[in-house]
Amino acid sequence: MDTSTLSQLHDIFQAVQQKQDWRVALDTLFVSLRGSFVFDNVAIYLRDPRTRGLEVAYARAMGRGKNAEADAVWGESVANDVIAKGQIVLKESKRISGSTDRLDLAYLLGFPLYIGSKLGGALVFIRFGGPAYSELHIQTASLQAFWAAALIERRDLQEARAELDSVQRQMRLQDDFVSTISHELRTPLGFIKGYSTSLLRQDTTWDESTQREFLNIIDEEADRLTRLIEDMLESARLQSKTLQFKFSPVRIDALLRDVATRINTHHPDLKISFDIKPLPPVRGDGVRLSQVFENLFSNAIKYAPNSEINISVTAVDDKIRVAFADKGEGIPEDYLPFVFERFYRVPGERTVTGTGLGLYICKQIVMAHHGNIWVESVLDEGTTFFIELPVDPTL
Amino acid sequence: MAKRILIVDDEPRYLRLLEANLRTEGYEVATAQDGVQALDVFSAQPIDLVLLDVMMPRLDGFGTCQRLREFSNVPIVILTARGEEQDRVRGLDLGADDYLVKPFSATELLARVRAVLRRAQPPAESGQARFFTHDDLKIDFARAEVWRGEEAVSLSATEYRLLLQFTHNVGKILTSEDLLTSVWGAEYKTDKEILWVSIARLRQKLEADAHSPHHIVTRSGLGYLMPPNEA
Repeated sequence: MDTSTLSQLHDIFQAVQQKQDWRVALDTLFVSLRGSFVFDNVAIYLRDPRTRGLEVAYARAMGRGKNAEADAVWGESVANDVIAKGQIVLKESKRISGSTDRLDLAYLLGFPLYIGSKLGGALVFIRFGGPAYSELHIQTASLQAFWAAALIERRDLQEARAELDSVQRQMRLQDDFVSTISHELRTPLGFIKGYSTSLLRQDTTWDESTQREFLNIIDEEADRLTRLIEDMLESARLQSKTLQFKFSPVRIDALLRDVATRINTHHPDLKISFDIKPLPPVRGDGVRLSQVFENLFSNAIKYAPNSEINISVTAVDDKIRVAFADKGEGIPEDYLPFVFERFYRVPGERTVTGTGLGLYICKQIVMAHHGNIWVESVLDEGTTFFIELPVDPTL
Repeated sequence: MAKRILIVDDEPRYLRLLEANLRTEGYEVATAQDGVQALDVFSAQPIDLVLLDVMMPRLDGFGTCQRLREFSNVPIVILTARGEEQDRVRGLDLGADDYLVKPFSATELLARVRAVLRRAQPPAESGQARFFTHDDLKIDFARAEVWRGEEAVSLSATEYRLLLQFTHNVGKILTSEDLLTSVWGAEYKTDKEILWVSIARLRQKLEADAHSPHHIVTRSGLGYLMPPNEA
């Protein structure tokens, strides 16, 4: 092979292989080699894995045969011959006597496509009106057919890999879920078991303050376990959609003030300010929506201690938007996309007890209202949760 | 002398639980909240046993166990909240002496600690050295860091594992097969070229003159060795 041919081949190889989409890669391949091998149409037929029949997977009209839709023009019968024989088929369509239409004289060249060592389809080149294919033409065409088969195999592998990735991701989520549950349940159980068996030890005695300390831990961990189980049941019900919602018109401003009053009875020092315009009611389940805001309050109390909370409610188009803002430490940007995921807990927050289910439950409830929930946060400035709920359409 | 036990767990309540119970038995206690801290605490004082939680931030229990085993034969008991067989097997394969599945009772914990301490060998001569020096070459096993003189050397995981074969067998000739089997696995036993390339790269990074190496020396027809430090 001389240097200039090699360098041309190199450029073509690079141009074709760089195309991620197999159709674009094929376009590049056929156009690049048109200098050496002229044809009008090209079609690729692939075997349908289910029906075993041939399906056209790729077709391009490069020249004189454009707009023609006759069978001979696309060489389907040649493709069938190729599949039946498993080898190259060269065919010249008979000119109907007296016809002067170039399209009536077609030279068809069909190649078998071996994909993953199986005869997976056929590639057919069509040229109208001659001249007949030379030996060199057939070699060039054969090279393109091999290459096309490799590109199709690459496509199949890409698809298989994408599918595999998605299956693996699913499995990993399942795995994470099971191992998180088992870890979350075992942690409080481990403390209860550990501290109670410590107190039960007969070979040692604990002073009274240590006994109290241990009993308090057991008590707190039993509460944590209870909360965890409740949250898990709730999230399972939401997940399986078996939780019944009772929808009716709800005044969000009144609901928020109610929740805030309840929170203030337990946390009298918590400052809560409101910024609410007169608003139409939303359609919702008041009990569940209260649960959402209680959750946001309890998060703010845990993760932004001593910060005041500002709640503003505005109407945006046909939705009511609640912004629930604290002035705490904020959530690092990297963790923000995950805070609504089940069992997700921002790393480094392990000293604060939590189940990783609160925001997941909030999101499920808001979604059941055809609403939207998201979060924005700036480090050292604070975190704002936004909730949008559709205005009651019946009013 | 009282035995000193290092407890590694990221949950303060586990640290408290373990410490309180161990102290009633007369043990001294050191604590760490993650693997990285554990390696530092471990290197700073003599430790007779390590109680190691698995799920921890930064460096988890498995990683810590592996790192400790690169320079120490201290008894290690893994505390795992996940009782699956693969976790227990993984811990033991990485060199742990025993494991305890959470939740566990205080009396069982103490019994395990007594049993493991009873079985424990006195620290071997190569013992607990965290640092290794060979001429101008220095290694901190706890941090998996390598220096040539004052200069930090960056090694790939494979290069580091290959280097450890020599540091743990100073003065011994290692055959290509030995090295290939222990670093790459038995299926690479005859793949000499990959070893040649890796030895060459290692020498580029470690030796003052890669053509007349001092740290990793070739013994023609026999293998490679790291010669003993000159007295």
